[in-house]
Amino acid sequence: MKPLTVASRPALRAGCRLSPASNPESLLLIPEGALRLHGPSRKILELCDGQRSVDEITIELGQTFPSADRERMGAEVTGFLQRLQEKGAIELL
Amino acid sequence: MIPPPKALIAEITHRCPLHCVYCSNPLEMGKVELSTDTWKRVIAEAAELGCWHLHLTGGEPLARKDTEQLVSAGREAGLYVNLITSGLGLTAERLESLVKSGLDHVQLSFQDSREESGNLFAGTRSHAIKLEVAERIRKHRLAFTVNMVVHRGNLDHLEELIALAETLGADKLEIAHVQYYGWAFENRERLLPTRAQLDASIAMVEVARERLKGTMRIDFVAPDYYAKYPKACMNGWGQGLMLIDPAGRVMPCHAAGIIPGLRFPSVEEMSLSSIWESSEVFSRFRGDAWMQEPCRSCERKTIDFGGCRCQAMLLTGDAEATDPTCSKSPMRHLVDKIIGDVGHAALPVPTTDWVYRINPTN
Repeated sequence: MKPLTVASRPALRAGCRLSPASNPESLLLIPEGALRLHGPSRKILELCDGQRSVDEITIELGQTFPSADRERMGAEVTGFLQRLQEKGAIELL
Repeated sequence: MIPPPKALIAEITHRCPLHCVYCSNPLEMGKVELSTDTWKRVIAEAAELGCWHLHLTGGEPLARKDTEQLVSAGREAGLYVNLITSGLGLTAERLESLVKSGLDHVQLSFQDSREESGNLFAGTRSHAIKLEVAERIRKHRLAFTVNMVVHRGNLDHLEELIALAETLGADKLEIAHVQYYGWAFENRERLLPTRAQLDASIAMVEVARERLKGTMRIDFVAPDYYAKYPKACMNGWGQGLMLIDPAGRVMPCHAAGIIPGLRFPSVEEMSLSSIWESSEVFSRFRGDAWMQEPCRSCERKTIDFGGCRCQAMLLTGDAEATDPTCSKSPMRHLVDKIIGDVGHAALPVPTTDWVYRINPTN
C-alpha cells in the first residue's frame, strides 16, 4: 500500500461516493456498506479531488474551522484518510 | 423501534442463462414478475425505510429489459446501486446505459479459472464471455468485484482464481465457499471440499491478502460444515437485510421459503416498513425468545444468533433447533457424518449427473 504523506493527493476510489446532500444521514457509501460522517469528515472528503494534497486539504479545512489547532488537525486528517485508504475507499494520485 | 435494514436484495427475475450447480435460488421458481412501476415504488420505499444499498440480482438481473430504469430509481432515491451478474447480456451498449443510469458497483461471477470446468459448473458456455465482460467493465469508473464460488471441484485452482481476478483488475475478490441451500444442497456430496482443501484455501487467502493489501481486497466466506460455531446468518433474522423475490414476496433471506408455516407478505399488499416492523415472518426469529437449549443459555447467542434457521430446518427438520454446524448442537453428528463421508482425498470432479438449476417453470 502506498504510504500516505502530506504531499499525497487523495481521491475517492471508483464506486465510493458521498451520499446526496438531500439524504437525512451524511454517509460515505462504499461497496460493502457505508460510513457515517461526523464533524468535519464530510468536508475533508469533499476536498479529496485528486488535485489537492493532504497539506492543502488541511489548510482549506482550517479556513472552515479557524479556531482549530492546525497541527492537531493535520494529524487527524492524516489518520482519517489512512483509515479510509485501508478500507479501500480512497486512493492516492 | 426496530433498526431499519441496511440493504435491499432485489431478486428481480429468476430467469437466468446459467444453470449453476450451486445456485442459491429456490428449487421451485415461478414466472410471475413485478412490473417496472411496482419495483420503482418498492425501491423508493426501501430508501425511505433507511436502506443504504440496493443489490439488483436474480437469476440474471439483465434478463429483464428495465434494469437500467431500476438502477435510476435506486440512485434517485439516494441508494448505492450494485448489480450482481453472470455477465451474460452485459453488452458494451447495455453497460454504457447502466453506468449512465447511475450504477455504482458490478459484481461479476466466475465459476472457475479454467474454461472447460467453468462451463461445466455453470451448465452454459459462459466463461469466455465473462472474460470479455470483465474487460468492458474495467473501462468504466465503477467499483468492480469478482465473485468466485469455491468447492471441491475448483478449490485446487485457487491460486489461479486469485491470479485471474488480479489480471481482470478487480477492486475486490470475493471467494465464497458453497453454502448448502437450494441447488447446492442437491449437489452437496459432490461439492463439499475435504478438510485439507479447506485448510489450504484459508492459508492461501491469508498470503494473498497480505501481498495484495491496498490493491485488491479479498473477502472470504468459509464453509460452515467445517466450523466450530455457526455463521451469524444474515447478522440475525430480520436485522440488516430484506430480500424481495421476483413475484414481490418479502423475505428475511434467500432460503427462508423452505421453512414451513411462514407466510411472506407481498409488496402489493403492505408497505415495506410495515412488513419490516410488524409482519409475523420478520418477527418470527428476531431476538432470542424462540431459542431452544443449548442456544438459549449460550453466551454466544448474541454473536451468532443460533446460526442459520434454514440450515437447522434442512438438516434437523426443526427451524428452531440450534444450527447443527455448531459444536454445541446435540445434532452435530449429522454434519460430522456428512463431512466424514467426503473422506480425505479430493475425488475426481464428476462430469456427468449434476443436478443443474433450471429456469422458472410455473
